Amino acid sequence: MNTQAAEMLQGASLDFLRRHSPFDRMEAEALGFVAERLVLTFHARDSVILSPEMGQVRHLHIVQRGKVLARQAGSVSVTEYSAMTLGPGECFPIGALSAHRPSTNTYIAVEDSFVFQLAAEDFMQLMEMSPVFHLFCTKYIASLLNQSREQLQSQFAQRAAEQQTMTTPLGQLVNREPVYVTPEVSSRKALEHMAQHRVGCLVIADAEQRPKGIVTQSDLLERVILAGFDLERPVTDLMTGSPHMLSASASAYDAALEMATHGVRHLLVLDGDRRLKGVVSERDLFSLQRIGLRQIRAGIENADDLEAMQQASRDIRQLALNLIAQGIGSEQLTQFISALNDALTRRLIELQLEKHELQELDFCWLAFGSEGRHEQTLSTDQDNGIIYAVPEGADRETLKQQILTFARAVNEDLAACGFPLCKGNIMGSNPELCLTLEQWQRRFVAWINEPDPQALLNATIFFDFRALYGNELWSDQLRTFLLSRAKDNSAFLRMMAGNALSAQPPLGRIRDFVTDDDPVHPGTIDLKKVGARLFVDVARILSLRTGVTASSTVERLRQAGRKLGIAADETSAVIEGFNFIQLLRLRSQHLDTEHDAPGDNRVNPDRLNELDRRILKEAFRQARKLQTRLKLDYQL
Amino acid sequence: MNWLSRFVSGAHPELPAAAAEKIARWQEGERPDPALPHFETRYVVINTEATGLNLDKDRLLAVAAIAIEGRSLKPTNALYRTLEDDPAEALADLLEFAGHSPWVVFNASFNRKLLERVFEARCDFEPEATWMDLQWLLPALFPEHHTGQMRLADWMESFEVETFQRHHALGDAYAIAQLLMAVLGRAHASGAITARSLVEIERSRRWNQRAV
Repeated sequence: MNTQAAEMLQGASLDFLRRHSPFDRMEAEALGFVAERLVLTFHARDSVILSPEMGQVRHLHIVQRGKVLARQAGSVSVTEYSAMTLGPGECFPIGALSAHRPSTNTYIAVEDSFVFQLAAEDFMQLMEMSPVFHLFCTKYIASLLNQSREQLQSQFAQRAAEQQTMTTPLGQLVNREPVYVTPEVSSRKALEHMAQHRVGCLVIADAEQRPKGIVTQSDLLERVILAGFDLERPVTDLMTGSPHMLSASASAYDAALEMATHGVRHLLVLDGDRRLKGVVSERDLFSLQRIGLRQIRAGIENADDLEAMQQASRDIRQLALNLIAQGIGSEQLTQFISALNDALTRRLIELQLEKHELQELDFCWLAFGSEGRHEQTLSTDQDNGIIYAVPEGADRETLKQQILTFARAVNEDLAACGFPLCKGNIMGSNPELCLTLEQWQRRFVAWINEPDPQALLNATIFFDFRALYGNELWSDQLRTFLLSRAKDNSAFLRMMAGNALSAQPPLGRIRDFVTDDDPVHPGTIDLKKVGARLFVDVARILSLRTGVTASSTVERLRQAGRKLGIAADETSAVIEGFNFIQLLRLRSQHLDTEHDAPGDNRVNPDRLNELDRRILKEAFRQARKLQTRLKLDYQL
Repeated sequence: MNWLSRFVSGAHPELPAAAAEKIARWQEGERPDPALPHFETRYVVINTEATGLNLDKDRLLAVAAIAIEGRSLKPTNALYRTLEDDPAEALADLLEFAGHSPWVVFNASFNRKLLERVFEARCDFEPEATWMDLQWLLPALFPEHHTGQMRLADWMESFEVETFQRHHALGDAYAIAQLLMAVLGRAHASGAITARSLVEIERSRRWNQRAV
């Protein structure tokens, strides 16, 4: 052994590294460190280089020559996006290495391949010594986040496409048994049948369900009432013969065209044997196209009764589904949902203000909790309250009673529109939460000065307030007041921090995740309690400390992070983690509500695909990082 | 030259003491078990750099060796020596580094012969080693690339193997070492899992070629 040979061979490794990212940008010292430690190995075609069974990963691998296939281990369900090929200069498995755990992928040489190895300890040391490499790994993990989002999108795109587009086969649009009578039935019986089944279109078909004609509601005026038709005559005398028919495999678009061409409002849908399968109406087709952001907004603004509002609320859910399909991230998505829910709530308030003749009331309707943070998911119950002013000469008690009655009506309307009444009674109709500015201020001060457990819990709900309707001056004043009181009260902030740290990310020492032992939901993780909440709580404390007025978690993290001098990419990583958890929550709610089960924020990590599992783990790690910072800041 | 000196180490009059000692130690060294799997066998790629390719006229300029241990190549596990200053010392270092691991060369008919002659001339001693020749082993294991005896450049091209400097003892050794790793990988996959089986593959290959 002599150094001359080692230097020459390391030079060969250096030459290689310099041709590939991220080594081409790497600091000279770090690059030398790598070159000195690289070991070259060979993997014959079709041999496994690395697999989950091999246990904790011991090397970073850099492909020198050849081709390596990374395949997700595990179930078939992830195969659609599971494989990718790595070529010269590409590294693996970065995620597993940084996490000190086995690889989740299996890496196979698809050609005879030469692969450099760098020992895991050296990898960790390199992360510390080279900012370039550190950034590279961070970005890599971020790109996993993107991949997962794309995967999520394609999943929803498929479902949305099925429900949404005009290419939907008619067979799928027909969702009730056809209502029909046989030809010998009397017209009276036929009309009774129509009324009984509440249909606008009755089909006349023979015993084998082959359609002969139809009777529609719009025919009745002219043919029956005005013509004085004898209802004892058979229905065949009343019906329109040779009805328009399409096969179940024709598309919604075909149906629309057929209707437009012939000026009809109903079409019969036939199955493969040309038997009656059902009826589609113009309205069925119309509802396919109805749901867009603008349409929903217009729908809300023009709604003047509860029924129209309920429809709007259902449309919001449908839209959320479509937006995910279109590739919108959770931050924007929750903002959209939030904006539409706001519009809905405002309209409901307006309608009730009119009913209660309170148009002159000087008040502000506040949203608390997740609604206050613009982070409503689809199964959020309502959290609201009121700040009101007592005009001179008015009787405060009488006014308050009036407001409470109005608020109760709004709360009930909201419940009817899919926002369940708050179990903790955090609602404007609660006399304790319908207060003047002064009363609110006193309450906030009491919580800050005497932070007992209940006060801390209150702070986590009520300090995330924002104005939803009415005079925003009141909420602004309350905010200014809160920030001025909380900012320098480090004892209170420290208590808040202690409270925030009472929940920990469910990361296991042995297993990837620590799941709930809750007997009703075994093996699951509550993404709200031990997921989103971790970020939300820290963001709240940071915002109080730095005087950030924003109420959304992402904005709080961004603005407070900037003020505290936290590196932008570090903040972004945290936000990505939070957004991913929110996206998973939305997804589980979507899937659940479609199966008519209540969305409950729970996810079973074993049922996630490999990539999502990895990212979820990374997201929890970000939460832990955030908590660690808090611990240091408050010496907890 | 005293015929005894062939058998008695250190007897060569011009041999420096340090080199003589290394040679003696090599001769006493333990031979590894040729039945161990590749993963547990240390192979040493040995390469030479001469003034030309004529065994009778050309001179050896430098020797290089790279060990493949655990089927992997560590840059620190290598040797490069020129023969300018102290040829015997350089050769003794080579012996010390290579030990009794199988000595792997590309084109034994030149490299092996040249080394044996130089050892003979400078150290008055011919090392008894297990030699392997990739020029024979490569076509035996990778017939999809070439079936005949090709040049190093051809094999480097087939495997897209690169090196930092061609026609340099260590530069070429680096390429040969990479080819050896490919050979070990393929041999392992096709059931030839020991050094001994590689020796047998080479022997039968040579035998068959002769028969043709």
